[in-house]
Parts: sequence; C-alpha cells; structure tokens
Amino acid sequence: MIPKQAVDAFRSIVGEEWCLDSPEDLATYSYDAFLPEFKPDVVILPGSNEEIVKIMKVASHEGIPVTPRGAGTNICGGSVAKKGGLVMAFQRMNRILEIDSENRCAVVEPGVVNADLQKAVAASNLMYPPDPASMFVSTIGGNVALNAGGPRGVKYGVTRDYVLGLKVVLASGEVIRTGGKTLKNVSGFDLTRLLCGSEGTLGIITEITVKLVPRPPAKATLQAIFLNLEDAAKTVSAIIGAGIVPTTLELIDRVVLDVIGSYGGASFRKDAEALLLIEVDGEPSLVEAQGKRIKEFCKARGAAEVEMAASQDEADKLWHARRTAFGAVASLRPNCIVEDATVPVKRLPDILRKVVEVAGKYRLKIGVLAHAGDGNLHPLIMTDLRDKEEMERIDRALEEIYEAAIAMGGTLSGEHGIGIAKKRFLSMEFSDASMEIMRGIKRAFDPQNILNPGSFL
Amino acid sequence: MIAHDIAHEFDQCIKCGLCLATCPACKELLLEKYSPRGKVQLARYYGHGDLELSDQYRDIFAKCLLCGACNVTCPSGVDLKKVFLGMREEIAGRRGVHPMVAAAVKSLAESRNISGEDNVERGDWKEALRGVPEEVFEKQKAEVVYFVGCVASFYPMVESIPRNLALILHGSGVNFTILGGEEWCCGFPLIGAGVPEKTKELIEHNLKKVRDLGAKRVVFSCPSCYRTWREFYGAEVELLHATQLVEKMIREGAIPLRRLEMTVTYHDPCDLGRNGGVFEAPRQILNSIPGITLVELENNRAKSICCGGGGNVEMVAPHLSSAIAQKKLEEIQRTGAKTVVTSCQQCVRTIKGQARRRKLDLQVMDVMELVLQAIPSVP
Repeated sequence: MIPKQAVDAFRSIVGEEWCLDSPEDLATYSYDAFLPEFKPDVVILPGSNEEIVKIMKVASHEGIPVTPRGAGTNICGGSVAKKGGLVMAFQRMNRILEIDSENRCAVVEPGVVNADLQKAVAASNLMYPPDPASMFVSTIGGNVALNAGGPRGVKYGVTRDYVLGLKVVLASGEVIRTGGKTLKNVSGFDLTRLLCGSEGTLGIITEITVKLVPRPPAKATLQAIFLNLEDAAKTVSAIIGAGIVPTTLELIDRVVLDVIGSYGGASFRKDAEALLLIEVDGEPSLVEAQGKRIKEFCKARGAAEVEMAASQDEADKLWHARRTAFGAVASLRPNCIVEDATVPVKRLPDILRKVVEVAGKYRLKIGVLAHAGDGNLHPLIMTDLRDKEEMERIDRALEEIYEAAIAMGGTLSGEHGIGIAKKRFLSMEFSDASMEIMRGIKRAFDPQNILNPGSFL
Repeated sequence: MIAHDIAHEFDQCIKCGLCLATCPACKELLLEKYSPRGKVQLARYYGHGDLELSDQYRDIFAKCLLCGACNVTCPSGVDLKKVFLGMREEIAGRRGVHPMVAAAVKSLAESRNISGEDNVERGDWKEALRGVPEEVFEKQKAEVVYFVGCVASFYPMVESIPRNLALILHGSGVNFTILGGEEWCCGFPLIGAGVPEKTKELIEHNLKKVRDLGAKRVVFSCPSCYRTWREFYGAEVELLHATQLVEKMIREGAIPLRRLEMTVTYHDPCDLGRNGGVFEAPRQILNSIPGITLVELENNRAKSICCGGGGNVEMVAPHLSSAIAQKKLEEIQRTGAKTVVTSCQQCVRTIKGQARRRKLDLQVMDVMELVLQAIPSVP
C-alpha cells in the first residue's frame, strides 16, 4: 500500500486526471503481453521530465516501487508491477522533439510510437531501422528499455545500435544525460548502451536521441521453399557466410506453415518443410544482383521453389504468410509461449534440430519462426496454461533448449528480454561474479531497489 | 452472468496489444482502459466476478465507436465488437441505458425514429425534390423499396442524400417506392445502446411493410441500416446498399455518365466497408465517371479509420467524436484532394460538421451526389 500523503503528492504533481487508482484503471495496467498479472497501487502518467523528477523524489523518500511502462507489449513481464507501487506510463510524453537531418538523428520523448517515428523520418528520406513486430503500438522508450530487435536486425542491428544519447531520471530524482548527438563518443563508461536493455531497472528514460540512416532506395523480396528443414537452415548460414548481408532472413517451419494454411492464410505445397523469406535493400543495381545471387544460392542448396517479387504488391503477398504466422499460431490453442533463444548463425541447423527433438520428447506442439539470419529463434509453444501437467513438460523442454543454446555459444534471449520470464534461468548464462557485477551496477543507480523491483535482478 | 460465447471471446485475448494501433478512441483518450485490450480485460474481470458494473464501466464501454478496427487487427481473431456490444447489453440490463443515450432510446420507442420527431415527417426531404412525381412514393406495389433511414430523413444537413438517390433511381427507370411514415427505425441505435430486445417490434413492422409491397429487394443509403437488416432481420428479399445497385446499373449501361474533372478521395464508412464488406462498388462508381481521379486515403478499405460518428459516441462524448473527426480531416487533407466522397449520411454529417467548425475549404459529398452531377439528363 502507498501512504495516502504520497498518493496526494502524486496527484498534485500530475493532476487528478493522470493519477489513477480506480479498480478499473488498476485492472487495465496489471498486464503486459506476458502471462502473469500484477496489480499496481497507483497508475501515473507524467507529462514532463520535471514531473518525473518530482514523482521520483516522493517515491524514493517513501520507498515506493516504480515500474515504467511503454505500451505494455513486451513478452517478458517487464512492465508489470511485480511488487506493487506505481506503474508509470508515458502516453502523454509522445512528442518527436526534433528530426535533425544534417546530424542524421532524431530526439524523441519516450512515449513516441515506433511506427510514428518511422513515418516521420521517412518524410526526410531517412530510416529508423529497429522494427519489432509490435512497432505500430510499442514506444521508443519501451524499445530502448527492452533493446528491441526485429526482422531488419540481420543487416541493421537492434535498438542499442541506434541510441546515441539519453536523458534519464534516476531513482533519487536526479537527472543525468548520457551520450549525445555524436556518432563517436568514448568518454567514460558507455552508460547509454548500459541503460539500453536494462528493462527499467536503472532509471526512467525521459528523452532519447536516436541515430537514423538514409532510406535505401530499392529492395528485393524472395521466398524459397525447402523440402528439408536442414537444407533451409544450412542455406541461411551459407548466405551469411558468402558475404551477402540481407536486410531480413526469416524462416518458417512446417508446423507453422501448416497452421497458416489451416487458418485460411496462404497455402503451401504439402511436402514443404521450411520457408525462407529473404529481403535485400540498397541501390537498385546492387539489389538486383544480390537478389539473383540469393536465388541461385537457394536453388543450389535444395530449394524446391524460389520466387522473387516483381512489385511491392507481390512482395506484400510474400510477407503475408510471415505476418499472419503469429496470429494463426496464437489462435490455435488458448495460449502461446513465444521463446527467444538465440545462437550464432552457423549453429542454426543444430538448434533447429534440438527444438524438433525436444518437441517430440516432451510431446509438445512447437512451431518455429526465426529471424534466421541472426540466429534468433522464436519457438512458438502452443499450449493451455491451465494444463499443469503440460506446463511442467514445457518447463523441462525450455530448460533443455536454453542449455543447448548456451552450449552453442548463444543466449537465453535475443530480443524479448529476461524480466520475470527467464529470471530463473539466468545462472545458465551468467556466473556468480557476472551477476554480482550487475547487482553492483543496480545498487549504484538505485540503492533502494525501487525501480522495477522483482525483475531479473 | 455474461453470455458464454462472449466469455469464450475474451478468453482468447493474448493481451498482445496490437489492437491499440488501430483504435481511434484510445489514441485520443490515452488510457489503457479505453483500449480494446483494456475493455476485454474489464469484460473478463466482470465475467469472472472480480469487478462490478460501475459508472466507470458504463462510461468506458460507451466511449467505443463500434467501428470494428480492432476486430481486423486482432491476430487471435477475437470478435471484440461482440464483446463490447455484449457488455453494453449487460450494462444496460443491470444499470440502465447510458443517461446520454436514454432520451434517444425513449423517444425512439414513442416516435419510431432517432430524432424524436413525428414519424409522418419522415418524408419531408421530398418537399424540395423536383423531377420525381409524388405517386412514386405512394405505390401499393413496387419491385424495390428504398429504406431511407432516420438520419437522412430528419437531419437537414444530409437530406439531399435521399433526394439524389430518388432522382437516380427514378431517372433510370427503377420501379421503387419508400415506406414513408410507415418506415420505422431499423433498430441499429438500440443495439448500440445495449437494448437489442427492443428492436423486435421494429423489425417485424418493417419486414411486414416490405412484404406488403411485394418488393424483391430493399436498397439502403445508410450503411448501418443495411448492416442491421443483413444481420438481424432474416429478410427473404435481396438487400443492397445503394452503391451496389447503382454500380450495377452503371455497369449495365442504365446510367450514362458525362465527364467531371475532379480529384477526390474516398472515405470507407465502417459499416459499409469493414463491417459490411462493400469496398469496391463505390470505387467502381467513381472510376466509371470519366475525368475523376481517385486518390486513396492512407488508411483505406478494411483499414479505414472511423470518422468519429460511430457507436453513439457523439451522444455520449461529443468532444471525443469531434477529436476523431479532426484526425479524419487531417488524413483527408494529406491526400491533397479538395473533395471527399463517402457513402454514408452519418460520415457526411460528421466530416462536414468538423470541416465547418474548422472553417475548412473541403467539399464533403455522398457518392450519389457526384453520380447525379455526372448524369447529363438530370438537372
């Protein structure tokens, strides 16, 4: 419970309208896109950096937990109030403050929706590359906190590669700035990159400077169908190994293809075991040459069919299967657990084999979508959370997949985050000494542990 | 307790939040409780007995346009509109109809129309009509019944819509008539108000009147009347929106069209497009008029954004309705077209109303007005 005088203080900082504690408000800020729900005591929507400073001073004085929340689309429980207290949402702080074409960057408030930024910078012929599946809803603040990735990650990298500077309100209410508008910056520790992906545990991000790139003038989209999953996986690492840098290199396995077919989406030949969706972008002549080369590559490695889109319409059609995949899978059973284990791209065939093996061993229905080009796997586990016995099998299966991924030199999470989803597996990836360093960093930023407590640290 | 089929819908929601991207109301109101995902959560809380139907519940579910954009976006295929209508019904049943809508529901019961006027005045739009003899509207038998709808009958801003359609139908030799004072509200506002059971009498009456005329088809200029008939009436006659009928007549050569040099954009009404499945007929009409250049809105067809006039929101929260209309205006302006064409009297009213408030130089037209301008023989 939050003391009444603290709630009154919060109300006077942001105004009655933006400090909420009705049962209806608490119920609707108790979830994100992960599974468990936690009710906050109060929901607050600040309108400025200054208001956040005041809020944090009260919160740290009273020892009240504060959990920052973008659009609540993360799938690791990153933005739910595990220990109650305040949920701080940023929908009011949604201004694009500056698009600086000469310095090729933009300055935004944390509540700006990713797709809105993309659209705004496109008008200046620039591009903000990170494109998580949630981009039409998720906010830049949330993207930074979770270090969001996306299909374009193969070529362009993830959110962390585009954050140049931050303005951050610390737990104490003090304000710090990290980085700036320069591309180069080696002064001191790189706090910008540290805060990116910190899942709201280190500070409240109130302003973000992002790097932009020139919009590529052309792209080519290809789809290749393989009758053997292993061939598809090997083609992926061969393309990367040959020095071609696709924008996107997605893999869909047979389980997911079947579900898409029965969902009324596109249909594929019955003997298809995997589909690769490949995109390259850049100058038109280069794109054309690379497109042809990829086509030959796929054919030489056993693709039964390769199709190259001749128009945007055709490209959209090729993307359709990928875009409908998650929905199709999610609607098959009451719940769908989206996994995120990631391996060095060369080990893609091995980890895929492991997933198939584990699914059989534990009698689970697991489909695989993968941002294959960067080894980022999304096994989709179709289940019903109410089935306790099946949930136990899932737990064991996940453990085996993670162990395998880490043994291959990979990680628990490529782009979804740890939150509460994978907290219990952290020791697989980090030694005690590593964990102690992280805890030390946490203490330096937030000695009272009021920022997103109950999260991975 | 909440109906089982609705409980099934909200149990399918995976809380991904993708619906927030397309909900015009929650983008204005900023709070999660107004989002489709938030409302599904509240329905679930109520369904599981964790929360009561408070005043807030009533307010939250009333601030929904019922535009159906969330239905199209939902990757899990949840029928969100069904949940929201079900909740409105539940709230109306337990707490009474929303006070801002109650007056309309009451006067509808007495007057059989949404505006509360004497129902015999339904035909007043004909007073300024030249070129269609009165006997057309007094037929005892007719092949086609034109169901005019309350808004076009009683709101002067849009009463040219029935005049235009009547001229087109008469001019191209269609054997049609109207129900006049015997046309009762289709029931759509009552469904939106959460009292669908009150539509029974209206439905039976309208069906009988159409049957008595021996009509083979009913044509609508109002997309919401059209949809309500399709979904709730179980009519044995063919139901067509005016754009479908007129498009067919143009295609068959029954309506010759002259050149009009114009650049227009087209707004898909929610109930005609996304919720009624009619996207192409109005576009084909526009494309069949020589000289017309159609520039599509950024969000068109199933992705069309509500004008702000849906779901009785105008009655409950006029500022919200007009804020959403403003976004529509801005989207229209981005096309560069000085004329927006649509095929719904409510959209015309909402968009025109907002354009007037903003003193904007924008022509807002029903598609039939444009057709009429393109017909050489009709003045």
